[in-house]
Amino acid sequence: MEHSEPTEQADGGSALNGHFDRTGKRPVPGGSGCASAAASAGAPQPPRAEPGAPRPVMESWREERTRSVEDNQTSLPSLAAAYTTILRGLGEDPQRQGLLKTPWRAATAMQFFTKGYQEKIIDVLNDAIFDEDHDEMVIVKDIDMFSMCEHHLVPIFGRVHIGYLPNKRVLGLSKLARIVEIYSRRLQGTPSGRRSKVSAPCHLCPTRLRLRVRASTVQERLTKQIAVAITEALKPTGVGVVIEATHMCMVMRGVQKMNSKTVTSTMLGVFREDPKTRDEFLALIRS
Amino acid sequence: MNGHSNGKVNDTVEEFHRNNSFNGLVIDTKKSAEHRQHGTSREEDADECRLPALEAAYASILRELGEDAGRQGLLRTPLRAAKAMQFLTKGYHETIEDILNNAIFDEDHDEMVIVKNIDVFSLCEHHLVPFFGKVHIGYIPNKKVVGLSKLARIVEIFSRRLQVQERLTKQIAVGISQALEPKGVAVVIEAAHMCMIMRGVQKMNSRTVTSTMLGVYLEDPKTREEFLSLSKSA
Repeated sequence: MEHSEPTEQADGGSALNGHFDRTGKRPVPGGSGCASAAASAGAPQPPRAEPGAPRPVMESWREERTRSVEDNQTSLPSLAAAYTTILRGLGEDPQRQGLLKTPWRAATAMQFFTKGYQEKIIDVLNDAIFDEDHDEMVIVKDIDMFSMCEHHLVPIFGRVHIGYLPNKRVLGLSKLARIVEIYSRRLQGTPSGRRSKVSAPCHLCPTRLRLRVRASTVQERLTKQIAVAITEALKPTGVGVVIEATHMCMVMRGVQKMNSKTVTSTMLGVFREDPKTRDEFLALIRS
Repeated sequence: MNGHSNGKVNDTVEEFHRNNSFNGLVIDTKKSAEHRQHGTSREEDADECRLPALEAAYASILRELGEDAGRQGLLRTPLRAAKAMQFLTKGYHETIEDILNNAIFDEDHDEMVIVKNIDVFSLCEHHLVPFFGKVHIGYIPNKKVVGLSKLARIVEIFSRRLQVQERLTKQIAVGISQALEPKGVAVVIEAAHMCMIMRGVQKMNSRTVTSTMLGVYLEDPKTREEFLSLSKSA
């Protein structure tokens, strides 16, 4: 990311009023259009003021992009070869007309379903945080969500409902949906309970595809990631996220319960503390 | 019905497989094309020995997607995904004869029989992504009726394969037709294709409807209309 202004301090990317920037550019009055510049007087202390204490919840912002568009191109032939093997292994004839280009199509489709690995929240959100003196609930509901179960590589789909109570700062509405996309277009699974750190991604080395593992995600975790991302971006008074999804691994195979749905929710801030706020949110998303 | 090999060979892929000694598991393509119509292109007991190759393929897919195949959630995923895929294509094991042999009964019934809202799940053969929906089947018996669940089982045989919705509809209709020789068969499928919903054009609410009408359903519009209205009613 290139910045036109020289930075006074290379901060290593600390969070400053919701603007996350690798070069640690601070919002200054008359600065490069950081929306929070005028509000910084009333804003909470930037974490820079607390030396050295990394807050674990901040890590969701540090989403390394583990895959780039170039990576996609280079992995395509091996993905396609793997799919051809799968077709043969299933007893199909990969040479028949309907299946001729299937390995490539399936490989590209799978890369699309995991495109969350190519994106970072920073890129999506940087410009769309606005100062508004609005402190009533904002809800975006019925956001269609599609993910892949990491256990069976079978789709999960459902709806996400997001509500938040702004604290002087609001987010462009489509950015909520984009946050959902980034986190959902990945392999979702069960919480691992441990975090293993692997070497940092290196795009030059052949085993470039190493990933720093945060606890792997399942619907519960996806819900939390979305809530935490919004919290860190906006520092709102509260955030509520509800996801209602159908897991094809339960519907198409295994127990084969056609109508089952899984519902998870995360409530942060005033949504957690105040039952009336929570009730209002839940009632509004039902209607 | 299913396309036969048109002679094009994908050289890179062939080479990959030659070099990776997967040859032992490659199906003889001529045989499988023949079998698709009347037999099975996959034996159930062969599934076990095919599993390692499928697992290896899935492990390589996970790596190439940028995931860490060693993390806890993904450790056994290649095996699970391989088994899941085998389950989702288990229709290749089965033939109509096996399913139907004992459940055809002589009844002097010549009115329409409809079994509707049969949930169907299949895999799109172009993207290997599910499509699912409902099947409505109607037939007019000609002295022979079939056990009702057998209609659903016929749907299962043909749907648990790599399919195209049009072909699935036709295979179900022709399968019933050949087994029972009824006066007419009608099959309607309404399905949602994840390949259109999750990717590509991303149209959430789109549904694809296909139908096959054979016998009197094809010839007589009134019969067809009766079937369509009975299968639509709530």
